[in-house]
Amino acid sequence: MLVLTRKLGESIAIDDNIKIVVVQIKGKQVRLGIKAPQETKIHREEVYQAIQDQNTEASQSTPADIARLSDALTKK
Amino acid sequence: MKVNTTRFGELQVNKEDIISFQEGLLGFENLNKFFVVDPGDSTLILWLQSIDDGKIAFPIIEPKIYKPDYVAKLVPGDMKSVELESLSQAKIYSILTIPSDITTMSANLKAPIVINNEKKVAKQIVLQDSKLNVKHEMYKELKSYIVAFASDDSKRTNIENPVNTVDASDTANTSQSHGYTQAADRPKEA
Repeated sequence: MLVLTRKLGESIAIDDNIKIVVVQIKGKQVRLGIKAPQETKIHREEVYQAIQDQNTEASQSTPADIARLSDALTKK
Repeated sequence: MKVNTTRFGELQVNKEDIISFQEGLLGFENLNKFFVVDPGDSTLILWLQSIDDGKIAFPIIEPKIYKPDYVAKLVPGDMKSVELESLSQAKIYSILTIPSDITTMSANLKAPIVINNEKKVAKQIVLQDSKLNVKHEMYKELKSYIVAFASDDSKRTNIENPVNTVDASDTANTSQSHGYTQAADRPKEA
């Protein structure tokens, strides 16, 4: 992993069209500004973790769960 | 080809019904071949069954069933990743989580499964829209939909139109007509 040191207001350029700026530093928090083409996907890493967790949980479902659900859903 | 699955037993899958996930799904990066199983029950829930690992299957549902205004806004890069030219070639599903308290069941609206129906390539695409939830609770909406059309089976065909699934109900051989593969038996647990 490439590690760079930046000060407040300084930035990093990735390719020709992505720019990451250190906008604010407050204690243990860093605010970053990101300038990128509209089609670039930018997510907090936690989003991926949450999706992965949801996938794992979903993969453990069984037809018995669906049968249970089906009973509940069709009850008026 | 024949696929042994833990949930549906041995299923016969047509080559043209196999959907390729080049990147797998998040957390399941090694599983690249799937097909859709229709268990034929009243819930409108289908299964995305792995071919590589018969134990792995994800319950999926079309989001428009419980959230009619849902739009998966794909950027050009997303479209390219599943070789789509237009959204009309795509089938969109959300993966469901069904906990022991079923009323808290949820659907992943943030990262839908996007299937290119023609090319049979698919991807779990993480949408940029920050208002979309990974766990969107939708039991109530699904129930009101199902109750509303429980008496009208004809509507069902419209909803499930173009994707190829494996039908796990006991009526065999309709896979040619609607493109869904079928299982020989109903799920044992049912």
